[in-house]
Amino acid sequence: MTEKMNDRQGYIGTYEAVCLTSIMMVTKIFYTSIAVIVKIEGTSGWYGTLISCLTSLVMFSFIFLLLKRFPHMDITKIFEAVIGRFAGKILTLLFSAYMIFYAASSIREFIEMIKAYNLPYTPPSILIFGFIAVCAIVAYHGLEGIARVSAIFFVPVIIGVVLILILASPNYDFDYIKPYFGYGLKKTIVTGVLRSSAYDEVVILAFIINSVHGLKICKRAGYSSILISGLTFSTNILCNILAFQYTAGSENLSSLFELSRAIYFNRFVQRLESIFLFAWVVASLVTVSIAFYLAIDIYTKAFRIPGHRPLIFPFSFILFMVALIPENMPEVVQVNIQFIRQYSGFFIYLAPIAILLLAVLFRKRGELHNGKKS
Amino acid sequence: MAEKNRLKSLFALLTYKKPKNIETFYIPETEEETKRAQEIKGMEHKARGIKKPRLVSEMSKKRERGLEKDRETYRFKYKEKSKDGASKGRSGNSVVDKQVSVNIDENMGLVKKAFNSENNKDIIIREFTVGGQLRAFIAYMDGMVDRTTINDFIIKPLLAKKEYHEGECSLDKVIQQVLQTNQANKITDTEEMIYEILVGNTCLFIEGCNYCISSETKGFEKRSVSTPQTEGVVRGSQEGFTENLRTNVTLVRKIIKNKDLSTEFLKIGARNNNQCAVMYIDGLINPAIVAEVKRRITSLKTDFIAGSGILEQFIEENPWSIIPTIISTERPDKAASHLIEGKAVIIADGTPFALIVPVSLTTMFHTPEDTTLRWQYGTLLRFIRIFAVFIAIFIPGLYVALTNFHREMIPTDLLIAIAKARENVPFPTILEVMLMEVSFELIREAGIRIPGIIGNTIGIIGALILGQAAVQANLVSPVLIIIVAITGLGNFAIPDFSVAFAARIMRLIYIVLGAFLGFYGISLGIVVFTVMLACTKSFGVPMLNYFAPKLRNSNDIIIRRPVWMQELRPDNINPLDITRQPEISRKWVKEPPAENMREDSEEAGEDDRKNE
Repeated sequence: MTEKMNDRQGYIGTYEAVCLTSIMMVTKIFYTSIAVIVKIEGTSGWYGTLISCLTSLVMFSFIFLLLKRFPHMDITKIFEAVIGRFAGKILTLLFSAYMIFYAASSIREFIEMIKAYNLPYTPPSILIFGFIAVCAIVAYHGLEGIARVSAIFFVPVIIGVVLILILASPNYDFDYIKPYFGYGLKKTIVTGVLRSSAYDEVVILAFIINSVHGLKICKRAGYSSILISGLTFSTNILCNILAFQYTAGSENLSSLFELSRAIYFNRFVQRLESIFLFAWVVASLVTVSIAFYLAIDIYTKAFRIPGHRPLIFPFSFILFMVALIPENMPEVVQVNIQFIRQYSGFFIYLAPIAILLLAVLFRKRGELHNGKKS
Repeated sequence: MAEKNRLKSLFALLTYKKPKNIETFYIPETEEETKRAQEIKGMEHKARGIKKPRLVSEMSKKRERGLEKDRETYRFKYKEKSKDGASKGRSGNSVVDKQVSVNIDENMGLVKKAFNSENNKDIIIREFTVGGQLRAFIAYMDGMVDRTTINDFIIKPLLAKKEYHEGECSLDKVIQQVLQTNQANKITDTEEMIYEILVGNTCLFIEGCNYCISSETKGFEKRSVSTPQTEGVVRGSQEGFTENLRTNVTLVRKIIKNKDLSTEFLKIGARNNNQCAVMYIDGLINPAIVAEVKRRITSLKTDFIAGSGILEQFIEENPWSIIPTIISTERPDKAASHLIEGKAVIIADGTPFALIVPVSLTTMFHTPEDTTLRWQYGTLLRFIRIFAVFIAIFIPGLYVALTNFHREMIPTDLLIAIAKARENVPFPTILEVMLMEVSFELIREAGIRIPGIIGNTIGIIGALILGQAAVQANLVSPVLIIIVAITGLGNFAIPDFSVAFAARIMRLIYIVLGAFLGFYGISLGIVVFTVMLACTKSFGVPMLNYFAPKLRNSNDIIIRRPVWMQELRPDNINPLDITRQPEISRKWVKEPPAENMREDSEEAGEDDRKNE
């Protein structure tokens, strides 16, 4: 009754898979994402994100079709099977690089915000060092550890967010959601489709498919997490517009933080930033840890390296350096974050879809098991 | 040379190393669960080429040998230089390989040599003749035996024996007709004979027999059963374990009167030859747990295991985990309740504690009182304990973080109160907190060490006087005294002694994190501790299960539902029988009231109607 741990990543259940993907997507509500949507779409942002959610569901369906076509393989192996080992490896490495870029940009966004709000006198390098050290420890424990941490923290984070939204309700004015069509339906739809990139973290399921018990669970986890995130985004954008109107709402660095600061019931129950702070830090740590682990994991898969642990130290170093590249907060938000949440979908969604098309064109498909598809 | 080694180890930190094949234990699913799982998931795991876990017994011997070698290298380097060396380690000299001989002088020499009787005056050898002509002797360890048993039920009947048949070994007849002790075993192996004498039995040797008889004569001094010292309850059993293994096993057996309750005795400690008992309910516990417990205990190669505390450290899965992975209890009823759930209990001779495996974090906050009280009260107690843990771990750290970094989060009135109280204190908050924490720990430690009744008193008086004096001297603020006192109370409310220790260590870490990085630092600490705990296992069971990984609820995790609603045993240990009771355990709620009562009430109703 013993099992070898380094042969595989470990198994995760449906609940853990949903939490893993959802927490990665939902963390954006703590950052500039809400303000950016309100700025672009105006008062229609709260349902504009639902268009992004629907687009993501469609995109994920294509990814799922690809996974279904190659039942025994994760997406890195599928790349190699369809476009050859060399090109497949290059594409896989691009995903690894993207994950590092994603993790580093998230760290930098977080650090800039925490400096602005809470720790103005602490040197950013110390904050980044602490953050990366924790991510390295989490990544050291592998996918099982990360999935468990996500499952444990997902509910408290959501409860924290809901609590802030409810406690801030005295500030809501329902007249603020007018005009209902924002800056126009066309703009809402176009931005909605573009911002589907904000949900593209769902692609991580394609990389960890062997740890999730089967395609059915992968499908269930993917759809559920997109819907959970869509609902969370929509509610948060709506509450932000209701509380601050679309003009002031588009100027907040973190809308949720401003909402938590706006809470006032009496002289004692007021300014509950502490709830926000814990939920925000924990969610960010888990998100970056997942991205960081996946960057290493994808790299090890590309080069068939057994075990991810020896690569944690060098990748931490790379992460630290990439996080320091942007010069200031506006650069992080306007270049890195805008790419991740608005244009990354072109790469994240379209690359697997292109592979699917190629597989269909060249009639490539995975091996069958016992004459049946898995 | 040393510098070269240092360079080498530094270089090793940076270079790639092939990962080691570390094998971890897990509890296999029962057949029923596996079948159900297959029905749900089909054969997809096979299709994706994932290997199913194999039983240890099915592994090839070659592979096992290789792994054993690996284990030896990174576990405990206990080198047995030679067979003689090993024997010496066990008994003190090289007589253990010999067998009991037919020659009585040779046997006596063997016993004398084995126990070094020239210098060791504890070994008593009493010579006499059986039937007036057959030479015999008994050997026992003075102080470990009951002399009355030896005098009245071994020596007296033997001296009274008259018949004797020359040329044959008469020990068989001695067992059947002469010895009046309740247990008597034949022994041919010298090592076994030595062990029997060491544990307090008496060995009888008779001329012409190539074996001896070990009679049960244990009679050493022991403490009587008393109330538990660290796990008191208001409603519930007041019996606690003692230092005696046999008494402890009986205390458990007294509660579980079940024929399937099995007790296996294992030797631990090569030089002190201690004993431990592994208790479990056969047919209920997952056999893998028993096999793993026995494997870990029998594989130990050390000279001295005084009791459960040392044994726990030898068999726990993750020695670096701050939170213990084994529950230690001095309550037989707690041990029994875990046995009924399908867990194993290990009791070592010498300490009044039993070890329970496997466990999860939630079980560490359970006490027997939760079940003996009504469910509402039991649930309330659990919430109080969880709150106590939160206070014991986080409050000083949060206070430091709030006052140093996040003053804007404190309501204005409270902020003014804190600022006023701190006005004359010359130290920074972190120093102030550390000063009081260290003082509190000193009082606690001194309270335990100070002899007799003064110990308890000095704890309270010391804390009061020290706190009052410190405030008057403007060394600490009164707010901090309140925080440290609440923290101390929270720590005492934690039911598990080891978890309370863990809370003390974690508190110090959170104080430092809060002092350097505020809430951000505390959040970092929370994530690190959570991931470490989530990946820690207790005999194959993840410590945070029920939260992650999600498992079937047994209705007794945090909220203790009514006992009649607890239909299932804990799912995390995969017991062979998951059902504790049927869905309707209180059958009387579905049945009509008792017949005679109904008849009485009907008659009473008729009488009333007649009267009307």
